[in-house]
Parts: sequence; C-alpha cells; structure tokens
Amino acid sequence: MPRTLILLALIPLLAGTALAENVDLVTLPNREGVQLTIYNSEDITFVKEKRYVTVKRGANKLQFSWANTLIDPSSVEFRPLEHADEVDIADTVFPGQKPQFLIWNIDSAFEGQLLVEVSYFTSGLTWQMDYVGVTNPEEEQMDFRGHVRVFNNSGEEYEDAQIRLIVGNINLVEKIAQLARRKGIPMPKPGSPMMQRLQRDASKAAFDLAAAREGAARATGAKAIVKEGISEYFMFTVEGTETIKNGWSKRMQAIKSETAKFEIVYRMRAHQYGPRPVRFFIWRNDKEHELGESPMPDGKIRIFRENGKDGLSYLGEQTVRYVPVKAPIEVNVGTDDLVVYETRRDKTERFNFTFHMGRVVGWDTRTAWIDTIRNYRSKPIRFELRRRWPGHIEYESEVTTTSFDYRTIEAVFTVGPRDTFLYPATVLQHEGKNARQNRIELK
Amino acid sequence: MKTLIPATLLLLLGLAAAPRPAEARIKLATQPQRERVEIQLDNGRYTLVEEERIVPLLASTTQRGNNRIDFSWANTRIDKSSIQFRPLAIREDGTFRPIREVDGQREVAVINVASPPNENALVWEVYAKEACALKVRVSYLISNLGRTFAYRALANKDETHLLLKKYIQLRNYSGEDFGEAGIWAGFGPKFEKTVGQQVDIKMLLERFKRVPIRKTFTFDWFAHGPLNPDKPHASRVLMHYELTNDGKHGLGKFPMQPGKVRIFIQDGRGGEAFLGEDWARFTPLDDKMRLYLGEARDVICTRIVQDNKRHRITGNLFNQEIWLRYEIENFKDDAVTLDIVEQLNALASKYGARAPGDVEWSLGKDTTEGLKITTERGGALPILHVEAPARPKDPDAKVEKVVVTLHVALKNLWK
Repeated sequence: MPRTLILLALIPLLAGTALAENVDLVTLPNREGVQLTIYNSEDITFVKEKRYVTVKRGANKLQFSWANTLIDPSSVEFRPLEHADEVDIADTVFPGQKPQFLIWNIDSAFEGQLLVEVSYFTSGLTWQMDYVGVTNPEEEQMDFRGHVRVFNNSGEEYEDAQIRLIVGNINLVEKIAQLARRKGIPMPKPGSPMMQRLQRDASKAAFDLAAAREGAARATGAKAIVKEGISEYFMFTVEGTETIKNGWSKRMQAIKSETAKFEIVYRMRAHQYGPRPVRFFIWRNDKEHELGESPMPDGKIRIFRENGKDGLSYLGEQTVRYVPVKAPIEVNVGTDDLVVYETRRDKTERFNFTFHMGRVVGWDTRTAWIDTIRNYRSKPIRFELRRRWPGHIEYESEVTTTSFDYRTIEAVFTVGPRDTFLYPATVLQHEGKNARQNRIELK
Repeated sequence: MKTLIPATLLLLLGLAAAPRPAEARIKLATQPQRERVEIQLDNGRYTLVEEERIVPLLASTTQRGNNRIDFSWANTRIDKSSIQFRPLAIREDGTFRPIREVDGQREVAVINVASPPNENALVWEVYAKEACALKVRVSYLISNLGRTFAYRALANKDETHLLLKKYIQLRNYSGEDFGEAGIWAGFGPKFEKTVGQQVDIKMLLERFKRVPIRKTFTFDWFAHGPLNPDKPHASRVLMHYELTNDGKHGLGKFPMQPGKVRIFIQDGRGGEAFLGEDWARFTPLDDKMRLYLGEARDVICTRIVQDNKRHRITGNLFNQEIWLRYEIENFKDDAVTLDIVEQLNALASKYGARAPGDVEWSLGKDTTEGLKITTERGGALPILHVEAPARPKDPDAKVEKVVVTLHVALKNLWK
C-alpha cells in the first residue's frame, strides 16, 4: 500500500552538492502545529503547518517532499514567522527528476532556531452540513439543529485534528487533484480506484498532520463551533481538536434552536412545484428564532413531527441552499393530502373573429375559471396561488389579485379550517391573429 | 535512456577548409567553456539564450587557412536559423579590448558560416590577423525553456488593500544544462541562478506592499441564468477585486503578465484563509485588472420581467417596451453597490427580434428616478449601479428589499 509521506528537511549545505542527487542527508524538524481549512464548494483543503528549523547565516537549503499525496506543487509556500526581515527566500527549485519534491534556497542573516510556516493545497477532504427539525404535535414550533459532518475515509483512526470549515463558493481555475497530477507524475485518472485510494491517503495524511500537533487542547463534551465572516464567506472553527474514527464521519452540532416558531404556507405553482399544492415551513435565520449567528450552509434538512404518542412522524426532507443571516428559511415538505386544489372551466365564449380568405385566423376566448381549495385540516391555512397564463390575456377576478410578472398572476388568501375557498376568475384570451401581445393585463 | 549532449562550441584544429557536405567529419577540437550565460525571457513566445565563451584563435595563414568554430547540439530544440555568432573582444594583458581595424581590415572577422548535412551543427570560418583569445557571443532561440507568471495576493481583513507578490517560474525542459545563468524577464530584477536540466525555479519578481483594491458585486442574468429551482428569478452575484496598474494604486512599474492569481485574506487571528483564484489577463500600465474570486451569497438579486408591450409600427416592424424589476436584498454587515448588467441584445432576441448589431433603445419614463446607469461595457450593455444598505444591526429588524425598475423601449425590431 502506498504510504503518504510529507517531509520537511534541512539539507546540510555542501559545496558542489547537486540538487538532484538521490542520496540526501537531512534533518527532520518536528511539527509544532497544523491547521486544516476545508472548503465544501470545491475539493480543496488549505493545510498550514508550523515547524522549527535551525538556520545558519548565509545560504541554507530546505527540502520539502510529499510522496503519494495530492498536493498541488504550485501552492506550496514557505514563510518565516520569526525574523522575517532577516530571512529571505532566494528561490524555490523543483527538480524534474524528483516530482514530489522541492528545495527552498534561503538566505539568512539570522542564525539559530526559526519558527516557519509551510502551507499548501491538497485534495481529498470533505465536509457537509445536515439539519434536523422536530416540530411539536401542533406544528407551531420546532427543535432545529444543524450539524457539521467531516468525512474521513482513510480507513484508520485519527486523533486531535484541528479543523476550520469554509462556507462559500470560491472560484478555482484548476482542480487541485489535477494540479497534483502535473509534471509527469504517474497519477491515476479522476474517479478511478487508484485515485480514490490516493484521495484517502491524502485525507489520512492531512489528518495525520493535524493529529501530530503537539500540545493540542483536548476539549471535553460538546464542541463549540466558532463562527465568523471572512469576505463573502463564513468560517466555522471547531473548538479544540477532534478525533475521527476509522471509516467514520464525524458529526458535530453547529446550529441549535429549541423553540423556533415557524409559519406554514401552501403554495400552488404548477410551473415550479407540479400540479398539487406543496406545504412550506417558513421561519427566519435570525435572533427571534434563536438563530442568526451565522449563515446556514447548503445541506439536507429532515423534518419530523412529535406525533403526540411519544414518537415521531416523518414529514419530509429537502436540500436547503445557503441561507444568509436574517433571510427566510423555506422548507418544502411536499404535498399534503389534507389540502386539495382543483381548477375547472365554468363557461366559455368565443367572439371577435378575424377572417382571412374566408377562414378564421383570429378570435377571442372568454373563459370563466373556478379554482377550488379545500382545507381538511382543523386549522386555517395560508394559501399562495401563482398561475402562469401564456399569450395575450385580460384577467379579472373578484378576489384581490396582482401580477407577479408579465405572464403570472398571484393571489394570497386564507382558507378556514375544514372549509372550501372558491377563487373565480374570468380570462379573456386573444388568440391567433388577435394576439398582439404576450402579457397579462389585470382588469 | 537518452544521452543528452549539451550544446558545444568547438574550435576545430588543423583543418584548412570546410568539409564537403557528404564527408564524415573527424574533429580534433578544443572545447571552450561557457564564461557567461544569459536567458532572456522578455518575449512571451520565444526564449533567447546568449552565451559567451573565450575561443583561442590561430593566426590565419595561407597554409593553415582560417579558424573554424563548430557549434553543435543534440537532444535540444535550438532554432538553427536563429543562431547568431558575434566576436566581441580580444584578450590583451589579462583584460578584454574591442576588436580594432588594422590596415583597413578588422583583426578578427567572420568569413562565412557552413551547415553540415544531417547534423545539428554550424561551422563558422573566422579570420584572425594574429593568434589571440577571442570573446564570442553565441545567441539562439531555444524551445522548452520558458517562463510562467503567478501571483499571490493577501488581502487585509477589510478588503481595502492587497499585499501582492509576483513570481516568475523558469521551466527548463530544453535538455540543456546551463549552469550559472543570468535570467531576465524583460522587467524587474535580473536573477543569477543555477539552471540545470529539467528544473523549475520559482523566483519572487516583485512585492507590492499596499495595493488598493475595489471590491465589486455583479449580477448578469443572461450570463448566469437562474440561481436554483427554488429561486428561479434570482441569479448569481459575483465578487471581483479590481486593481489599477498605476503608481497611484501601488503598481505601475511594468505591465502585469497573464498568470494565475491566488488570493488569500487575513483571518483576523494572525492567519490566512484562501479566498479564491483567477487567471489574470495581460494588464498594461494604467489599465485595470479584474479578478473573479467567487460568489457573494449574502447579496441576493432577483430579476422579474414585470411587463411588456409591443407597439407595431408597420409590417413586421415593431417597438418593444419592457419593464424589468430588480429586488436586491443585502444580508451582509456592510453596504454594497451592486452592478446589474442588462444585456439588451439578448433581451431583444427573447422577443424574437432579428435586428443585426446592437439593439436601438431608450430609457422609459417608469425607470426608477435617480437610478445610476452607465454604459462603459457597450451601448447595449447598460449597467445599473444600485446601493443596498447593510442588514440592520437591530436583531429584530428585517432586511429591506431595494426595488428598482428599468423601463426600456427597444426600437425598430422585426421578426
């Protein structure tokens, strides 16, 4: 089995030493700390490790190698954290004979132990968010929790991983896994078993690094997730360090609201949700709903209801897309057999005919429509109706109706418990040559 | 394994005349070492190598003929037609002096150059009045020796400035080991590096310590389409950094070459986080560089075609009035200016218009009063600049939508 190997080594500088010799005499400095910043929008993890190296005045060579990993060589950076004004990186040399290997040539005016940071991008670590909501039997408020899940498919157990998670859609112009395949390195194709194994190894290596962090604080009990905004993104920092067992994903609670009140809305939009009304649970990612500390990352949400018999009923699930702070959270829990929508034509008239060569080429059709909404629930419901009418339409209804856009009408009403609501409308449609517009005109 | 033979310069001894094309060439030669190598990377497509060597010349006589200097190479792709040979100076008393004219004739002169068949070689015939040590410069274009540029930018937490580092990476896969060589990109510092075979050398070309940036947010419906099935009228809001390549904005030393820019940001805890990356295009002096970093998901913009009316002129010629409503919600802590790009040509084609070129249009009376509209990207690409205030600090207050209307009349269209 190929083993991942990431080494930082100080090479004794000998006169005339060739860069690409196959025998190296190196000293291996210990790691002082490692931080993993994992992105969820792309397969990229930013790894930063700190180490002490001992430098002498003048020229120094520092070697960094990463056999059997998915590190992007172009991303590897070296930065002195101490004596930065006395230490200068003359250049970075990538010998062609050793593909996963580089040497920093360092000019130092300082002599002694130096804390340095090495950073790079690697591939193979992922994280996701998932949510669970449990409503009370009356469906008025819910216990809502969001969890961060970090995936470790390495096949081994890791301890004390320091993790930061970035929420946001970053732009990458090249995939990290592809960059790692450059320079003639014999890398397997994406998705192949060999590549998957390499990704597992990369994952293992990164967690190994994090596990090796000396003096890492071991938090006990539930971990806090520190949330802070950075530019257009949000960063979740897991308190202390985490242990992620062999073949497991680690799930940590990141968002919690015990009594979030929500509103139920039925939406009938055939062009968007299909022929039946769907039920939405709507609340906000704000303080009023015990949320609003951070945006909610994309993730699957599952909604349950306490069934009043010491058990739960499953209501539905949906993938929630990123919800900013103070923005509404809208969860589509699907159709509801207790709310029925029907539409029918009541009366049709045709008139205003236009002829060409004795044949009908244009006419107007006036149709009386009746939409019926039956609520079999014991509570009143809010019902939002949007209906698209293509073509040249004149629309009239005795119920308050607005135009959502040039081809869609919108009406919002309440249907009482165990009641039926009738929504009548008269639609005059100009057809054939009589159609001169593509819009709805509300009368 | 292929044996690499480096480019060599030989002084052929005891041969009076150049060989005929079909002859085998038997060489007895001295091999002058390179005294100096310069790799010129200022041309983006071609790399020029200039090397200087000291060649011992014999005095040309009738019996011996002229000196013959042989330049040959293998396993490298040197453009034969590009090779230049220039005598530079003559060593005298340990120093070099210019070549003089004596009795109306130069002390050293290149008589001709011959090209042996089926060989990567050139042979120069050189006249020398006296035996001397001649410094010569051989210049040639070579393949697989090139450079790329890359940038690493670190933004401050407030995203007002960048620390921008520009790197040049020399890639030598030419098959030639140049040893100690001078490297110059056409601007910036000149480097002296050991350039071996099959090596990449990454060097810091310039560090710009405080480069002011302008962060922009752009919405372009026709470029990106619906955001997702739940928000069919919203589209992506893209975040860019805009830099100006002039002295006033901390740059302006030289044009910025194309290359990958990786942008990081200070995380406020002494560390950094990766923001995104983009390809920088070539940016001449005084021009702007625009870098796309990613999506701004806390700024939501929806675009709704509120209404439209067709006004027939005659035959199939018509004018089309359109009312576009934009609703902007800013969930960020900071106010933003959203640049909304409306592609009127694409909008006209939605109405079946087949008018060639840019659409003719005018602003309608229902356009939101005071709405700032510019056309710096083209007459048919109006950009609406909409200010959206930061989300309210009051935890109970909701984010208010900023609603603006663009009312346009597209004129003289036909189907």
